[in-house]
Amino acid sequence: MLKVAELTKIYDSIIAVDKLSFEVRHGEIFGLLGPNGAGKTTTIRTILNIIKPDSGKITFDGKEFTEDVWNIVGYLPEERGLYRKSTVLNTILYFAGLKGLTSHSAKPLAYYWLERFELLGQENRRIEELSKGNQQKIQIIISILHNPKFLILDEPFAGLDPVNQAVLKDILLELRQKNAGIIFSTHQMEQVEKLCDNICLLNKGKSVLTGSLPEVKRRFGKKSIHLEFEGDGGFLRDYSYVTRADIYQNFAELELTDITMSQKLLSDTKDRLFLKKFEVVEPSLNSIFIQVVSGDEKKSD
Amino acid sequence: MNTKAIKVAWWEFSEKVKSKAFILSLIIMPIIIILLGAVPTFLATREDTQPIIVGIIDETNKMYLDLSGRLEQKYKLSNGLPNYILRKIEIRNDLATAFSEANDLLRAGEIEGYFYFSSSVFDSGKVEYRARNVGNIKIQERFSRTIEELIVERRLAKEGLDPSLIGRLTAGINVVSIKVTEEREEETGFLDVFFTGYILIMILVYLILTSGQMLVRSMVEEKSNRLVEVLLSSCSAKDLMAGKILGLSALAVLQVTIWGLVSLAVISKVGFGFNVLLFENLLLSVVYFILGYLFYAAIFVAAGSPVTTEHEAQQITSYLSLLLIFPLVISLVIMQNPNSTLIKILSFIPLITPTLMVLRLNIQLPQTWEIIGTIGVLFVSFLYTIWLAGKIFRVAILSYGKRPSLAELVRWIREE
Repeated sequence: MLKVAELTKIYDSIIAVDKLSFEVRHGEIFGLLGPNGAGKTTTIRTILNIIKPDSGKITFDGKEFTEDVWNIVGYLPEERGLYRKSTVLNTILYFAGLKGLTSHSAKPLAYYWLERFELLGQENRRIEELSKGNQQKIQIIISILHNPKFLILDEPFAGLDPVNQAVLKDILLELRQKNAGIIFSTHQMEQVEKLCDNICLLNKGKSVLTGSLPEVKRRFGKKSIHLEFEGDGGFLRDYSYVTRADIYQNFAELELTDITMSQKLLSDTKDRLFLKKFEVVEPSLNSIFIQVVSGDEKKSD
Repeated sequence: MNTKAIKVAWWEFSEKVKSKAFILSLIIMPIIIILLGAVPTFLATREDTQPIIVGIIDETNKMYLDLSGRLEQKYKLSNGLPNYILRKIEIRNDLATAFSEANDLLRAGEIEGYFYFSSSVFDSGKVEYRARNVGNIKIQERFSRTIEELIVERRLAKEGLDPSLIGRLTAGINVVSIKVTEEREEETGFLDVFFTGYILIMILVYLILTSGQMLVRSMVEEKSNRLVEVLLSSCSAKDLMAGKILGLSALAVLQVTIWGLVSLAVISKVGFGFNVLLFENLLLSVVYFILGYLFYAAIFVAAGSPVTTEHEAQQITSYLSLLLIFPLVISLVIMQNPNSTLIKILSFIPLITPTLMVLRLNIQLPQTWEIIGTIGVLFVSFLYTIWLAGKIFRVAILSYGKRPSLAELVRWIREE
């Protein structure tokens, strides 16, 4: 288990991370979310011992960061880049070597992953000859080749086409199966909803929302109703039990005083509109994100 | 030193050794040495292939014949022709017309230059040489020596002395410089000594600059592509820094070895060379060489790790190269007086110790206390700088964007 306790990092006078605590268990994908400048990257760098915290403690399976931890963590930074003049295979083997693998044991693994990402045949080309997406795949390979017990990925899906996004998603699920603890930092909420077991939403260095995904959704935001229809839906906002309404041409998202009122809504509207769809939905993580972050914004203003 | 540092070193070495820049630098350095060292020497001592025509305006009417005879006797070309042919410019009306005639010939390129002997030359000893190129030292040196002989002979004869007797009595003083060392005596010329030290320093300066540049470049690259974050999540900053220095040092060793082997091969084939490989105190030179190299590598790390752009990296390199070249600038002073107090004091400034001491070692062995002292100072400076560099590197390698201020640097160094 990766345990972050009371982590604080201060730059000059700005508190980048403020008493942040969370845990990532083996076999779990943990979403570290937050708007730009929330302190995600600082948190990640501190976990990886790249920068030192001002206070707080980080432990890997109970141990503090020591020599052996280097070999069991994998990291994909948000900003990508590799040695442009070096060949694909040499680059992969170099980083595998730094993770404690011998060239002999790393080579078959390198070929395995190159094949998975459909990069076989490119191993002797220089990095600079590869497309951006392919370079990113090499970086992903570098972060997972040594079969890390803890894997930290900063925006891993950004820049990948849908096919490779699917490949990466499968790989992450496999790694979870193999009991890796995965921290996944992103802005893309759809990916989080598909993959994450638990999340931590950061804003201005503070944790503003933590817990398992269903729990967060339950705790946060009411259920809402999605309506698809033909006709003029303007009257929908006039019902006393509708607390919030977003009405578009053929679509409306409504929040009700109580979700049981949905049945009344259905009977009230079925004669006035031609209903194509009526759905009780959980709030999307996206809307929770916006709600929490902008709410936070208002509070501090 | 652990295995990760060695892995970093091997990577830096094996990737750089394949680069075009390295292969180019392997070739460029010998070319620079040949250009700076051998070519001027070669040009200066090169034999003429055709006779050179020199004009003479002779008011004495005695010098022309004597001089042309003596020159012909002394200087011959390899094909048997005389090296110098004198062309007499008659004084028909007055001296001024003779001069203008000579100047015309000079401009037309028919004569290389001309000498003017006034009627009082035997008393005053004053001779004028006029030419378009008064920098041709060989002609002036040979002529003035011959003219001096002739004038002195005439003076002697006038006093009733036999020139040949005087010649015998005054002959035989021929100073050959012999450098005395513990084991053997060896004839060396000024040039040999000068070039031995000079070339050694050039190699040192060149290696430090190319390695330093590569070091700073690789740091800038890893910074700009954020690979440094991946590296630092795989090994310690110390290992990374040590690995880089080690890898580039290995590259430098390889470079020197290749140059050494090639020049050995060339010298054994051609039998040409200015004692370069015969320098004494090889071991001491190597000590200064290695310490100097490492010291500067540490400086490059300290100065280069806060740098974020290629442009800034180049600035750093050029500042440091000025410091390195300083001993070369004052090398002539060192040659003339290697034991002056100033030179001794300068030898203890670690930034110039390596180059200055390598130069001094090849001129005259400095006293033992100086050698021990300078090596000590250099070694301590190296340890201190590498410690300092480690601290700066650890923080600076992660600083992107703006260049840190001096105050920030000091804070990083103080921080634990």
